[in-house]
Amino acid sequence: MTLRAERVSKHYGDVSVLRAVSFEMARGQSAAIVGPSGSGKSTLLHVLGTLDQPSSGRVEIDGRDPYTLKEKDLARFRNRGIGFVFQDHHLLPQYTVLENVLIPTLAFRDGGRDAPDRARALIERVGLAHRIDHRPAALSGGERQRVAVARALVNRPSLLLCDEPTGSLDRARANEVGDLLFELHTQEETILIGVTHSLEMAARFERRLELREGTCVEV
Amino acid sequence: MRRSLTFFWRIHLSVMLGVAVATAVLTGALLVGDSVRDSLRDLTLDRLGEIDHALVSERFFRAGLARDIEAAGDEFTVVPAVTLTGSAVHAKGGARASRVRILGVDSRFENLFEMEMPNLARRGSATPFVANESLRRELNARVGDAILLSFEPPGGIHRESLFGRDEVSESIQTVRVRLTGVLPDRGMGRFGLRARQDVPLNAFVSLPVLQETLGLPARVNTLLASKGTQDAGDPGPGLSRAATLDDLGLSTRVEADHFAVESTQFFLKPHVADTILGLADGWGMPRLAILTYLANTIRVGERVLPYSTIAAMDAGRVGMLRLADGSGAPVPGEGEVLLNAWAAKDLHAVTGDAVDVAYFEVGPKEALKTRRVTFRLAGVVAMEGLGADSLLTPEFPGLHDAEDMHAWDPPFPVDLKRIRPVDEAYWDAYRAAPKAIVSAATGQRLWRSRFGNFTSIRIGPLPGEDVRRSAGRFRAGLREALSPEAAGLVFQPVREHGLAAASGSTNFSLLFSGFSLFLIVSAALLVGLLFRLGVEQRSDEVGVLMASGFTVAAIRRRFMGEAIWLAGLGGLGGLGGGLAYGWIMIAGLRTWWVPAVGTTELALHVSGFSLAAGYLISQLVVLLSIRMTVRRLGRMPVRALLSGTLYVASADGGRRVRAYALGSLGLAAACLAGAANAGREASMALFFGCGACLLISGLGLLSMWFRGRQHATAMGIWRMGVRNSARNPGRSLLCASLIACACFVVVAVGAHRRADVTGDALNSRTSGGGGFQLVAETDSPLYHDLNTEDGRFELGFSGEDADILDRARVLPFRVLPGEDVSCLNLYRPRDPRVLGVPEAMIRRGGFSFDRLLDEVEDPWTLLTRRLESDVIPAFGDVNSVTWILHKKLGDDIPMRTDTGEIVRLRLVGLLKNSIFQSELLVSERNFTAHFPDRSGYGYFLVETDRTRELGALLERRLQDAGLDAMPTPARLARFRTVENTYLSTFQTLGGLGVLLGTFGLGIVMVRNVVERRAELAALRTMGFRRLLLSGLLFTENGFLMLAGMVIGGVSAVVTTVPHSTVGELPWGSLLATLFAIFGAGLAAGAVGIFVALRIPLLPALKREGA
Repeated sequence: MTLRAERVSKHYGDVSVLRAVSFEMARGQSAAIVGPSGSGKSTLLHVLGTLDQPSSGRVEIDGRDPYTLKEKDLARFRNRGIGFVFQDHHLLPQYTVLENVLIPTLAFRDGGRDAPDRARALIERVGLAHRIDHRPAALSGGERQRVAVARALVNRPSLLLCDEPTGSLDRARANEVGDLLFELHTQEETILIGVTHSLEMAARFERRLELREGTCVEV
Repeated sequence: MRRSLTFFWRIHLSVMLGVAVATAVLTGALLVGDSVRDSLRDLTLDRLGEIDHALVSERFFRAGLARDIEAAGDEFTVVPAVTLTGSAVHAKGGARASRVRILGVDSRFENLFEMEMPNLARRGSATPFVANESLRRELNARVGDAILLSFEPPGGIHRESLFGRDEVSESIQTVRVRLTGVLPDRGMGRFGLRARQDVPLNAFVSLPVLQETLGLPARVNTLLASKGTQDAGDPGPGLSRAATLDDLGLSTRVEADHFAVESTQFFLKPHVADTILGLADGWGMPRLAILTYLANTIRVGERVLPYSTIAAMDAGRVGMLRLADGSGAPVPGEGEVLLNAWAAKDLHAVTGDAVDVAYFEVGPKEALKTRRVTFRLAGVVAMEGLGADSLLTPEFPGLHDAEDMHAWDPPFPVDLKRIRPVDEAYWDAYRAAPKAIVSAATGQRLWRSRFGNFTSIRIGPLPGEDVRRSAGRFRAGLREALSPEAAGLVFQPVREHGLAAASGSTNFSLLFSGFSLFLIVSAALLVGLLFRLGVEQRSDEVGVLMASGFTVAAIRRRFMGEAIWLAGLGGLGGLGGGLAYGWIMIAGLRTWWVPAVGTTELALHVSGFSLAAGYLISQLVVLLSIRMTVRRLGRMPVRALLSGTLYVASADGGRRVRAYALGSLGLAAACLAGAANAGREASMALFFGCGACLLISGLGLLSMWFRGRQHATAMGIWRMGVRNSARNPGRSLLCASLIACACFVVVAVGAHRRADVTGDALNSRTSGGGGFQLVAETDSPLYHDLNTEDGRFELGFSGEDADILDRARVLPFRVLPGEDVSCLNLYRPRDPRVLGVPEAMIRRGGFSFDRLLDEVEDPWTLLTRRLESDVIPAFGDVNSVTWILHKKLGDDIPMRTDTGEIVRLRLVGLLKNSIFQSELLVSERNFTAHFPDRSGYGYFLVETDRTRELGALLERRLQDAGLDAMPTPARLARFRTVENTYLSTFQTLGGLGVLLGTFGLGIVMVRNVVERRAELAALRTMGFRRLLLSGLLFTENGFLMLAGMVIGGVSAVVTTVPHSTVGELPWGSLLATLFAIFGAGLAAGAVGIFVALRIPLLPALKREGA
């Protein structure tokens, strides 16, 4: 599994957000994207996550440009290959922990019969087995984010994209979630890319890509 | 507050629109009621002009009575007129109109209306007549065209008595008239005394010309009274003072030693005879009551006297009869007869001989049966005094004025060849003097009839007083003792009754408000929903205010203050909408739904009261709905509010919902049980109650499901959509409620729709047509039996018609004219039309009954039950009795008889959806006993296998009688059309509810997507395509639709079960309607989803995540 961004640019009208961003990552690597607010961190994450097509340049995942795929195939590609974790967990309040984790498996019918087992295993791995039938309202912030991590991994993605995953947590909880992310990243050998303002968190990534006025510099 | 109102203008505008809808619907419903009521009132005033009271009699009286009443000083202007009912045929074109009112009027009639009558004076040989526009249109006539008017001429002697004229040629008179003018269908042109909304077919003829045509100069049968001042009361007392014995149908004849009181109708009615006899006895005047009849033959051995009168009187008892030998005649006992000397001589009869008397008895439908009775000759009376008194036989046309017996033209069959020269000699010498005398008791037993029991009463003067003086005193005393009412002369306060009737048989305000209720509730729910969305949008504001120290009460007041402004302004807009809604509904009733009201002359009438009531009630409902939303503020922690959460389900709330749901379910069951046992009107009220309870219960159960934990062992995309509907239980419940209310109305109304009866069901005796294929009515009554050869011959049918007529069976009913009590009449009827049911119909049976007062094997026999003396058992159709007469089984309906007495028609059976919706039914026996003046048959039910041919034949042959034939399914369809048109109207209201529901659902859908766009964006990151997200939302929307439809539909179907079995429900149309609603809802949802998903989702991730 490789990820390659080649002179990726993105602009909205006259506003240029990303300018010729290029970098490459291999399986098992992790990178933090840092930079001031409005520097395009989330935009880059969305472009890498096949959510937002670049205005120019190319994104390759395993040597393939996902943006050349049809919408359905692109959705399947994202469903199977990419996991997202956001600052706001975006759990569905009406579902239990287990059901929330299972949601990505519903996007396609071939989600696998073993999905519930897989989900239960992941919930156990994130330390929430005792909360499996609880709804998000009954969970703490850290617990909700751990559910979001489990949900991101339920389809065994090779690319895990995190957008300020610990931004709304206190330090202790942030560390817990960070530990979990890296532990799972290591175990699953995913490419882990995280957007963060936290220097402490950024320091835990192997690489640091800094965005300044739309350009990317590896520091 | 002003800033808040303007800043959130979008959501506030939608709230105001919702309030406007609620106000418009309620106000509009009230205005519809006002408009129908006031339009009927206008029509009443229009058709009556200045007329306040009217007197219409079966019998003619002096036209001068009008002037005498005016002179009696009760400040009334009284106008005499002749009113007849008949038919009209265009002499050339052949176009025919039945139920034409032929009115003989003069210039005084014009003064009652602010209109001018075209000249009716005769010019040349043509009799001019003026038609109203409706009649002209019906006849397709132009001014100058010749028209044939046919009607039953008034007859002095009852046509069904032996001496009455009943041949078609005598009972129907046709005159040729020429159309000289046309009146518009208003004012004089609309003139009519009965409360009906449709335009009558009026033909105006000059009063003197019509009187001349009828052979009744200076006589009328109608008086129209107009108050001279507002304070004038009732012309009744003036009538009492002014009426003479002549007006009451009585005459006196003064002879040398006595005077006689006779009736212009040949027979003295029992109550009149009793009054005369009582008065004579009271004053000590000798009196002799006489009943004279006609014997076809008087036979002794081989000798026969043809056509002789025979008197029944107890003359011997008062010494007024002498035997031939000069001694006093004995009073003949039962089975004895006296012959006068001429008869005894001709018959060679001596005392003790057997005397056979043969006479006609008039049977049903004018069948003359010859009866024979044998007497013993008790004596021979001298040819003097009563023994040869031609005055014992009252005058009647055809006999009295005949020069000789061969010139007789009696109404009954006579064989003039049997008349011998000696008979002519007797006629020359003694005219119609009775040749035989029997006792009064024998006469009463043999010849008394419903038309009367005596033909004259002779009264002697007081001792020592001149007979003329005694007669004069007696006349005055008798006139005082007999009220005009007893002679059928009654002034009816037609204006007062008309205006009262204009309140309508149906309260349209209540009807439309009732059926709009669910729509109003829907609008209020929508307002609550919209306001709730507005408050939710501002939950952080609530949180900030609370965090800043504002109390919950203060915040609630703030929101309620805004709500009052919004409701107030929205309500004002709604008043305009109400006017538009009312106008559209009235326009609809005048055009698309005209079968429901039968008139195109409804106009929008706006009352300040209805506007104020509609405004205030809708304000109350809407503010209550908003109050329920605002009341929930403050139950959330500030932190949650600041994070945008406003509502969570509480455990208490869950328990309360469960209590409501189960309580309502119990209440619904109680209502259903009550509806099964209650009267029809009460059961309809329970129907609404049960429906409301089931709705509440169903929605409560749905709410419990929303609030409960739905454990899923397996997740699927559809299940996910269904479960998403529980994400915001309150909001989802409101959406489902909107749909449920609308579906309830649509299904409940649709379930009452009836299909036309066709095929075998039509011929079933238990069907609404009772197994009859044809129903016919005539303007002039028929007196002969259509089932017999003789009857058909008399009615003008030829031998060629036998083929069709032989295969038919006709049951004739007597008709007491009155007001239509069916849904075809918008006015509230006072005097229902009554049919006299023949014995053959009672034996035959048929039709279905909704309820009977007593469960008996043959329901029709209930009509023959003997009840209290002044009570007549009667049937009515359940729909007419319940909704038009507002009565129920066992209730009494008072009616005035021909003798002015009040009898009560007791409802002993209610027919179910029958052709008898316009009238009440009593047995013919009771009919003739209480309404003896009504003659003949005017309503016919026919069993035939050649419906069309027979209908055409009857209409052709009985054209002069104004016969209209109609297949029974067509008659039923007329009623059903009204019913179904109302249902269409209310289904339209239900449809508006569906619109509101789908509108609310669409708004909620958009709002949900906006609120959840981050969540949806997250789903997209997980590989959910836009199509899949649409499916998810579509499922959510569809589930709410489906839940609402099932709750509303099932509630409606269950509550209609007491009225119709499940099998009777029009499942096809119901399911089609529901399918259409579902499709429309999904389409609206799809539009909402399409609009909502066009909002870019990724920015939501960025804003909240970056």
